[in-house]
Amino acid sequence: MVGTPVLFIVIPLLAAFIIPLTGMVWKNSVRIIPGLVLSYMLALSVSLMWHITETGTVVEVIAGWKPPIGINLVFSPFSGFLATLMIFLGLLVWAYSYKFKRNVDSEPALKYFILLMLLVTGSVGIVLTGDIFNMFVFIEIVGISGYGLTSFYTRRDSAEAAFKYLFMGSIASTFLLLAIMIIYSQLGTLNIAEIADKMPMMSNKLKVISLIFFILAIGIEAEIFPLNGWAPDVYTQAPGPIGAAFAGIVVKSAIYASVRLVYTMFDLSGALDLFIVIGLITFIVAETTALRQERLKRMLAYSSIGQMGLVMVAFGIGTKEGIFAALFLIFNHAIIKSLLFFSGSYLVYNKKNKFIKHVNGMGKYLPITSILFTIGAFAIIGLPPFAGFWSKLAILTAAADSKMLMLIAIILTVSILEAVYYLRVINRIYFFPKKKSTEAKKPTLNALIVMISLGIIIMVIGFYPDLITGIIDRAATDLMDKTGYIKDILTINN
Amino acid sequence: MEKYLEILNYTIYGAAILLLLIGLYGALTKKSLIKIVLGLSIMDSGVHLLMISIGYLKNGTAPIFSPGHENELAKMVDPVPQALVLTAIVIGFGVTAVALALVIRLYKHHNTLRIDEIKNLKW
Repeated sequence: MVGTPVLFIVIPLLAAFIIPLTGMVWKNSVRIIPGLVLSYMLALSVSLMWHITETGTVVEVIAGWKPPIGINLVFSPFSGFLATLMIFLGLLVWAYSYKFKRNVDSEPALKYFILLMLLVTGSVGIVLTGDIFNMFVFIEIVGISGYGLTSFYTRRDSAEAAFKYLFMGSIASTFLLLAIMIIYSQLGTLNIAEIADKMPMMSNKLKVISLIFFILAIGIEAEIFPLNGWAPDVYTQAPGPIGAAFAGIVVKSAIYASVRLVYTMFDLSGALDLFIVIGLITFIVAETTALRQERLKRMLAYSSIGQMGLVMVAFGIGTKEGIFAALFLIFNHAIIKSLLFFSGSYLVYNKKNKFIKHVNGMGKYLPITSILFTIGAFAIIGLPPFAGFWSKLAILTAAADSKMLMLIAIILTVSILEAVYYLRVINRIYFFPKKKSTEAKKPTLNALIVMISLGIIIMVIGFYPDLITGIIDRAATDLMDKTGYIKDILTINN
Repeated sequence: MEKYLEILNYTIYGAAILLLLIGLYGALTKKSLIKIVLGLSIMDSGVHLLMISIGYLKNGTAPIFSPGHENELAKMVDPVPQALVLTAIVIGFGVTAVALALVIRLYKHHNTLRIDEIKNLKW
């Protein structure tokens, strides 16, 4: 045994509280320790992923209280896949922002890295925990560190965006508590596996009510359509790399929570259709709104919301192919959108409002960043031979297998809109003359390395999708296997 | 008379829901940022009251097995909601603190606390 899942929560949490102390002695430790911690976590989660292919799901019992009484952490192929992806992205965000505010002073950097560590802790915790109240606590950790990171720059309108986020987040947490209490008062347990086991005992009315509260609460974090008013503001006002962290880490954990609810906890048959409907509405509205955005990061934010809608649709198809497609899209969206946020921040670096027109003619001045942004844009539209092509194809084939032809038509039509607004930006990058007054900022070396490696990953997955499909396939099988999940947790004996 | 007392047992749920709705109303309709934060806080208290009332037992005892009280399991109040509500209160306190800090920042930036005058960001 290489290590236990509890380390994924303990170590970053500890690091977040230790770096202010070590920072007093040695200033650079504030930047170095998070990187060391994240690389250790990545190594640990990769070796655990390797370990569970042989032994099956690892269930960690906290403090010796066996489930269903105590809290347990579950590292299954599904949750492990998402946790590994999040830790990997956390490492990339760290590497990209290693020189963050280096020339100014260490105070903002300290706060930034503390909050980043807390964000990773919370998101990984949401994915690994097997207890709904514990999940609530982790969602609040993510929320509070998210508010802090959003309001990071005092001179922008960041406090306004953060307040919007906080307002929605705290109403969400109230609804989440309500839903948890409805379930607790009916079933007398908080353990996800035991809830799933006892769910038939609950009356249908209460099931629907608590599911609606859950979806309302988690939908706010997962950027589902009517609840995502905070997202574009947060993405524009937060520091550049944090946009990638939100799109890649926070939203993924919320998607995990909603999927775990619908697939494992609730046995309502209509819930999956609900997923398709909200997913499609989110997808269509977000992509059409993205079309008329004038600011680059807002456009990327709406595109991110749209992709999440597509993920919801794929989960809603409900077959194994559908889940496979959704997980593949989650993976691709995480790497591609991070690349777009990373390279996009340099294309509009130090511009007041970060309008799309500021990228005019950047192809000549920032050739590598521009090419990487182009790769990201092509990949997210779904052009072959980039990674995004395979996930879009997987969704379409999954829909075709389930005879949902309307769905295919809608997805393909909306994808045209997506192509339009991304190609418009690329057109500006390469074929528009640059304004004299604007000055391009060269990316720092660490940022360049991160962006290039992301670009390489996108190309490699595009040519050899088999590298990743095996893991995703196991994760999809694991999610479908509800009785296996219940059995793994309730019959643990260590 | 007994029947009316029976209804009283449920008033606590009514009170909790009422608090929740008052808080929601305040958070959604008030224009002042401070009042919005207050509304969110009241909403939280409503849920906390609901949580506590779920674990409540009339004439219940503390959930501790002390000598001479070993056989009182049925009379003990459920300790889990109490533990949860403690956690939830702490989290609510943290969120309120962050919210008030943001309100101070907003006031410094815009020189107003009225939410309809703070609208640099919109769709």
